[in-house]
Amino acid sequence: MKKLRVAILGSGNIGTDLLIKIQRSEFLECVLFIGRNLSSPGMARAIAMGVKVSDESINAIVKNSDLVDLVFDATSAKDAKMHWDILDKLGKIVVDMTPAKLGVFCIPAVNLHEVIEHRNVNMITCGGQASIPIAHVIGKTQENVEYIEVVSSIASRSAGPATRLNLDEYVDTTENGIKHFSNVPRTKAILNLNPADPCIDMQTTIFAQVENPNMEYLQKEIDIMIEKIQAYVPGYSLLVPPVFENGRIVIMVKAQGLGDYLPKYAGNLDIINCAAIAVAEQYSRSFNNIK
Amino acid sequence: MIKQILISDPTLRDGNHACAHQLSAEQIAIYSEAADKAGVPIVEVGHGNGLGASSLQVGLSKEDDKTILETARKHLNKSKLGIHVIPGFATIKRDLVNAIDIGVEVIRVASHCTEADITQRHLGYVRERGKEAYGVLMMSHMASASVLVEEAQKMELYGAEGIIIMDSAGAYLPSDVQEKISALVNGLKVPVGFHAHNNLGMAVANSITAIESGAKILDGTARGFGAGAGNAQLEVLVAVLEKMGYVTGIDLYKILDASDIAEKKIMSTVPTIKSDSIVSGLSGVFSGFAKHVTRISNEYEVDPRDVYRELGKRKIVGGQEDIIIEVVMDLIRNRK
Amino acid sequence: MSLAKNKIVFEDCKASCVEIESFSILDNQSILVTGGTGFVGKWIAEMVSYINFTSNLNIKLYLLGRDIVKFKDEVPHLAEKSFINFIEQDVRYLHDLPSDLNYIIHAAGSPDNREHVSDPLKTIETFYKGTQSLLDAASRIQDLKKIVHLSSHQVYGKNETEQLISENSFGPFEALNIANCYAESKRIAETLCSYYKNNLRLPIIILRPFAFIGPYQDIEKPWAINSFIRDAILGGPIRILGNGLTERSYLYASDMAYCILKSLIDGKIGEIYNLGSSTPISLNELAIKIQNQSGSKMEILTRSSKDYLSVSKLVPNTDKIKKELNFKEVFTIDEAINRTILWNQLKRNN
Repeated sequence: MKKLRVAILGSGNIGTDLLIKIQRSEFLECVLFIGRNLSSPGMARAIAMGVKVSDESINAIVKNSDLVDLVFDATSAKDAKMHWDILDKLGKIVVDMTPAKLGVFCIPAVNLHEVIEHRNVNMITCGGQASIPIAHVIGKTQENVEYIEVVSSIASRSAGPATRLNLDEYVDTTENGIKHFSNVPRTKAILNLNPADPCIDMQTTIFAQVENPNMEYLQKEIDIMIEKIQAYVPGYSLLVPPVFENGRIVIMVKAQGLGDYLPKYAGNLDIINCAAIAVAEQYSRSFNNIK
Repeated sequence: MIKQILISDPTLRDGNHACAHQLSAEQIAIYSEAADKAGVPIVEVGHGNGLGASSLQVGLSKEDDKTILETARKHLNKSKLGIHVIPGFATIKRDLVNAIDIGVEVIRVASHCTEADITQRHLGYVRERGKEAYGVLMMSHMASASVLVEEAQKMELYGAEGIIIMDSAGAYLPSDVQEKISALVNGLKVPVGFHAHNNLGMAVANSITAIESGAKILDGTARGFGAGAGNAQLEVLVAVLEKMGYVTGIDLYKILDASDIAEKKIMSTVPTIKSDSIVSGLSGVFSGFAKHVTRISNEYEVDPRDVYRELGKRKIVGGQEDIIIEVVMDLIRNRK
Repeated sequence: MSLAKNKIVFEDCKASCVEIESFSILDNQSILVTGGTGFVGKWIAEMVSYINFTSNLNIKLYLLGRDIVKFKDEVPHLAEKSFINFIEQDVRYLHDLPSDLNYIIHAAGSPDNREHVSDPLKTIETFYKGTQSLLDAASRIQDLKKIVHLSSHQVYGKNETEQLISENSFGPFEALNIANCYAESKRIAETLCSYYKNNLRLPIIILRPFAFIGPYQDIEKPWAINSFIRDAILGGPIRILGNGLTERSYLYASDMAYCILKSLIDGKIGEIYNLGSSTPISLNELAIKIQNQSGSKMEILTRSSKDYLSVSKLVPNTDKIKKELNFKEVFTIDEAINRTILWNQLKRNN
């Protein structure tokens, strides 16, 4: 088997955490870790691990095009658009961690096998990775779902300046993701930041308005879905199993991080990274003809 | 020197918490007209949690934002039309653009008291559109005076023309208000305001303490119609301020009339301090949780007071209404 | 001889550590000290060693510094302690910290003003980059309970007042004066602390140290009290440079170490505390005290450019730290001088 050669574009928290996770993967090899500043903490970590680094941003990939099969873009939505223009021409696969929405939306537990037919895969949002699979199950098991709503609460400390400034994009992208995967016409996403100390784990509640819920079928499918997600997000769990209360289905899930680069409370970062790794590994399997 | 106090009246916004967000267009029309006649400077309307907040999480509105705003707009002449906006619930594109297009004049952008950074874009947008922008720090009892000053200063830099701190849990005593308002007045260039809740029976006293500590903006609602134990009672506030020599621009008789109309036409029950509300206030729980806690506690037969205690212990913030279910489930599990 | 020296330090720790039972909360907790091999680091290690020994606790220390070998050489009795771990690193280039940390005492960087004027860039980098690197790494620690940032009284700028300096007495500042590089970089370090506290919710408190005296403080340091003691040990004369009416105050080292550790427990997050002695003493009086205590009659010389009429005073108001940390200075200036001379004499004779 040949490991898929990946590059990480962006040396911030997302990029560095991806790097640590990739070191454990049987299917992936990080050949290039790219940022803009060689003295950032992420760079130092990569250098300490013996990973080849560069501060030349997208040019590093242009120069080393032959070495790289897949690029994780962990920069910003704005930069990701510019990067894709270049990476598309180079024929690279891109797993997009930003809300640039250029590629096909991916929830590994739902459409992993389909997305690898494409070359640009978008990981939606952290809250989306937690809530959309559940919304998908609701859409699949219930008839006439009028409305789905997801509420995520994350620890203040796990929301950096970019997240805070871009709440609107988070809400918008997550709502689109839910619509896409549940086929429910009306959706809403809400995000709360909680400053409690010690930090809270990321917690997500999924509500659905359904007239005649089929709770038994729902429960069964939810259990299957949770197991599927746990296969790539070890810290994901069902906190409150489906209940029907006040005319609404309520399900709560929790995502605890692995504590790789950021502490365990940063489950929001962990879940989107775990999902991205699952996608990259699937490409690798596919190239190696492993099922 | 005339001491002018700016009154903002969120009867048709905070009051929505008290009736599970079921205020009808007709009720909105009736009270808007009465408040306008009384010369209330700002009439704030909307879902209890503000623009774009109608949801299963915090409660669905009877009327959508568009209907609420258009109705109020039609019935306000002198009074300015105000809204409450929490980023994370409301986005600029989905909600704020339309609201300003309909004719909202005063926009109060709110966040949990330690999270002012999330208001930057919304406040910026309001100023871009040339409307009045205020910053609101909710659940302000959860942060120290120095943290409140830091957060309020951010909002000031983002363009807020005034900063209102909310005692969203009705947890303050006058000494707390004095400490925090004085620190804010000292640390800010723009006017400071206070929004009270009455869980511990302190709403009017706290509002007056705020004024005496330098605040220039007060919120009050007709009969105190608002979340939990209600707000500072507007008509009492107007009377007390008048007696103390402050100017509000509100006609006392007419606001008394307006509050009578409100009691008759928009309230199924007039807010009182219920036993649960006292525990809620002591525990520092968001007043908007009251209806949810009552309903879910009843349904699962747990003591709502235990629920408040636990919510307080977990330092749950406004918008985390989903946690009530988890807490109730936990209480049931631990009982077994 | 080194036994006698260590005994002085142990007894000093014992005398200063008045509420020893309050430290049981630190049992099985890990404390990182940056600048861990310097004066503050050594005293923290001594105090923790005393507490661990006396109360049978297991408080773990990480001492971060650039020259661990030198430390082991200077204080072998500490270096061999199993509760002490070393991290050999320059704080400016720090990227990751041990994940089991619970507390941080940020004491890196030299307060030696000779170094500041000779290498201002390094001074600025140490406090600016060093503080940023540390706090950045700290923001990725799960169970961090408190960070104590040691700032400096120099952030107050020029204070020409008769009053004791309280936590909000700021004077004017001259950014263009190279000698101010230390003060300026300490100020930016405090601003960094505000950022990390406010935006990343790090549990930071700031201590602003004034002058200290005691064992482990190099008597070759260029400050008045150290030179007076050095002059006295050498047999005099004691030389006062500049204005003898200048008033300073000195907190004894073991009192300092106790107070810093106490701030880990009782310091309020986001607060700033002066750390020092509130008992003023003029340099003239100080010279006389040192002269008296050193036994032999020696000359005191004053070297000044002019006749000074006014008093320059650099003494903290310490009401806040006394009240909130229940802190009391145990050692008087006379005892402090006595212990310091004794320890240094033992060190010289060793």
